Amino acid sequence: MLRIAQGRVYDPANGIDGEVRDVCLDDGKVVEELPSDAPRLDARGMVVMPGGVDIHSHIAGPAVNAARKLAPEEHRADVLDRTAVMRSGTGGTVPSTFATGYRYALLGYTTVVDAATPPLAARHALAELRDTPIVDAAFLVLMGNNLTLFELIREAGPDGVGRVAEAVAWWLEATGGYGVKLVNPGGVEMWKRGNRNVTSLDDEVEGLGVTPRHVLSTIATAVDELGLPHPVHVHCNNLGVAGNWRTTLDTLDTLQGRRAHLAHLQFHAYGGTPGKRPRSRAPELAEHLDTHPEHSADVGQVMFGPATTMTADAPVSALLRDLTGGKWVNADVEAETGCGIVPFAYRERNYVHALQWGIGLELFLLSRDPWRVVLSTDHPNGASFLSYPRLIRLLMDREFRNEQIARANQKAIGRTVLRDDLEREYTLGDIAVVTRAGPARLLGLADKGHLGVGADADVTVYRDNEDREEMFATPRYVIKDGRLIVEDGELRAAPAGDLLRVAADYDEEIERTLEPLFEERYSVQLSNYPVREPWLLEPARRVSARRGGSEP
Amino acid sequence: MTDRAATCAGCGCGCDDIEVAVGAEALEGVARTCSLGDAWFAERTADALPAARVDGREVDVEEAIDVSAAILREARLPLVCGLHQTDCESQRAAVGLAEAIGAVIDPGDGAAGSAAQAFGLSTATFGDVRDRAELVVAWRADPVASHPRLLPRLRFDRAGRAAGGRGPERMLIVVDADRTATVDEADVFIALPPELDFEALWAMRALVRDIAIDRDLATRLPLDALGELVARLRACPYGTVLYGSGLAAAADGYVNALALLALVRDLARTAHVVALPLREGNARGAEDVLAWQTGYPAAVSFACGHPRAQPGEFSAADVLERGEADAALIVGFGALDHLSPRAADYVRRIPTIVVSPRATETAVGARVAFGTAAAGIYREGTVHRMDGVPVPLQAPLTSSRPGDREVLAAIAARVAGEEGS
Repeated sequence: MLRIAQGRVYDPANGIDGEVRDVCLDDGKVVEELPSDAPRLDARGMVVMPGGVDIHSHIAGPAVNAARKLAPEEHRADVLDRTAVMRSGTGGTVPSTFATGYRYALLGYTTVVDAATPPLAARHALAELRDTPIVDAAFLVLMGNNLTLFELIREAGPDGVGRVAEAVAWWLEATGGYGVKLVNPGGVEMWKRGNRNVTSLDDEVEGLGVTPRHVLSTIATAVDELGLPHPVHVHCNNLGVAGNWRTTLDTLDTLQGRRAHLAHLQFHAYGGTPGKRPRSRAPELAEHLDTHPEHSADVGQVMFGPATTMTADAPVSALLRDLTGGKWVNADVEAETGCGIVPFAYRERNYVHALQWGIGLELFLLSRDPWRVVLSTDHPNGASFLSYPRLIRLLMDREFRNEQIARANQKAIGRTVLRDDLEREYTLGDIAVVTRAGPARLLGLADKGHLGVGADADVTVYRDNEDREEMFATPRYVIKDGRLIVEDGELRAAPAGDLLRVAADYDEEIERTLEPLFEERYSVQLSNYPVREPWLLEPARRVSARRGGSEP
Repeated sequence: MTDRAATCAGCGCGCDDIEVAVGAEALEGVARTCSLGDAWFAERTADALPAARVDGREVDVEEAIDVSAAILREARLPLVCGLHQTDCESQRAAVGLAEAIGAVIDPGDGAAGSAAQAFGLSTATFGDVRDRAELVVAWRADPVASHPRLLPRLRFDRAGRAAGGRGPERMLIVVDADRTATVDEADVFIALPPELDFEALWAMRALVRDIAIDRDLATRLPLDALGELVARLRACPYGTVLYGSGLAAAADGYVNALALLALVRDLARTAHVVALPLREGNARGAEDVLAWQTGYPAAVSFACGHPRAQPGEFSAADVLERGEADAALIVGFGALDHLSPRAADYVRRIPTIVVSPRATETAVGARVAFGTAAAGIYREGTVHRMDGVPVPLQAPLTSSRPGDREVLAAIAARVAGEEGS
């Protein structure tokens, strides 16, 4: 039982915008009232928000772990000591599992979605999440280059769904996943066929009778038909390529009328010609999103400094390898996906990096509906999640932003509309939308991202501070499931978080369809593929799909 | 008697299609295993080891836990080593215990891993190698002996290549010092003395980049054969290089592994080429668990309260050879059979705690020896194959003895001051 008393509450999902009031917590939930003698947390003069929700991050699984192994120098420079409540660990752009959980919590985040798990490696991702304390975590299952699904998509024909919906639901159940992720559909398969790629939505995936457009369309329809709480989560084709905004628009047009979430839109908002210097097309994409309520995006903001690029889009990593000449990992995952990793640094004097930084800010500042253009850095691709407070300051503090704009490569800034002195400053209410209420709604997590009665008792309390970076970097209190976890930058407890997984009904007959396809393509037995081990899956909370009940 | 599915965690292939016949509390038969797999199941079910011994005397598990905790608490620099032959769940417990006692922990096959850390690598899971590769090169690797089912599973043994239905162009090439068993399965054998790995790999890098080689300086290298190999690798749509621990076994192993990874990277600019290091047991799992909990894949010290890693400084073999550790927790590892004579000698002089389902000389000489219920036979668990794919271990039999994980967790609890039950 805990009463967070007399703070200024920002709970946009319930229309509360800075009202001074109490938030009552009991038994892990927000409740209407508490006895007057219930324990109190004095929040007078402070800002109260729901716990943060990260819709797109990379925190667990084989790709993240391969990246950890690549960065001993980062770990050496950033260590966490063992304490009475903490396991030890290391940081850098790709922290160890324990450090990841602690640091998200210390930042006031209580829910994190890992955006790219190869289904074959689900056990590995789940084991890492079990060692990632405090935060409730979900993962999205990579399905955009899955040979078995390709076959079912081809069979379904250009307009049907066939057995794809059942197969998608089977895969989610088999892995403990939450939603569906498509990464460069078709392109990663082509990468494994002699280092090639697709460049348009109508390129055929050689010999397989499907195109990126066909894959996008069929899986988006399947996800809607299943009524999954989160729409299909798409990393578009042609990431990073000058002129790719046309592919992005084409993708959105293809998915018109169906729900879709575009990942790290910034990386897909480039004008110009392939191979030449890109320019910004953020205004056009922001405009499109404004007029299509069924579509949403996270920004994938780039921040200057160290990063680690880590993606299932392996052909992109090969390009980055040639740019940096540094460390590079490629890992082909049979019949499902690929993986590429390149440590990277974004520099403000570099034209492309400054342009990427500027495009991210444009997307934030031009979008009219913060509920559908939410905050991410695609951790650790654009920057570490630890840079969120600085990003928040860029959005909230125009003077600071203009100073930073003046420091960046001016040719690049000239290719954006940032010089027009965009006046917009995010309010605390807007920040509450893009960092918790919006992501929770897009994920379909009804108990997250708000403080209405029945919501999870995940609450962050900040000291009001004109320096918004400082304010958001060190919450005064973080409460998870009603329990005080963080006080003034100190961890007080580190309980395990829950796995958030979807519950989607499907026809079990689909296994008969999958069985022969499986034997042909995998090097594990079908009987060993689904994760059943309770120590990997529990504690978990199921979020139900509503078959036939979803609306765009 | 009933048939049950099982996974063999013997060699790093993680074959999960094993069938075992289970009789009254014993295995009556094992099917689909290779000879190493037969031994793996047999060694873990043969002797009814005492669940716990202290100084050779059978004791209660609880008493052995007490003695173990006392040893580890008193030690100035305890070492945790082994770990290849247990499941990921036990490895997790071992890392947690190592942290709690400020130990050095090292699963111990460092050089190849360090090279991958310094350089990165291009790799793939078995299924993609099987279904896409046109060319497999076994470099200083003898999978027929070390991983008997690997080539059949990749369909790159002679029979698999013939039956593959993908044309005769699929090819297996072996580069090694002598005619190994794998050479009998190969199309081409390139003889290369063991001390010439680096020179050969570096020369191949030059050939990939069309840099002329001064033949007078490279008279010991089979340049024509290596040139042909480079041409084949550049031309194939999907090539795979298997490399064994032999490549990185010598003192210069690090540069050899680096050279191989550099060559694969050079090739990857034009062809899709991947490398697959052959690993034993659940060595890959040990590396993975250590990396996710600490950030480092090997040679980690918790002596300062947080993880630091330095191969050499904190490698198990080095810490023992230098006589730095004053106690050792050895998990599933015949340390005395595998360490250098100098390190083994030192192990005999310090208090050791052995946690293992197998009877080994190391366990016989230990201060405390736990005869555990083996993961994969009596306990469920997870192992990571050498290609990183996690596969579940089944428990076709039951045992009331504790498994590795339970022993390690109990020691950790006792070290933390919790009373025994």
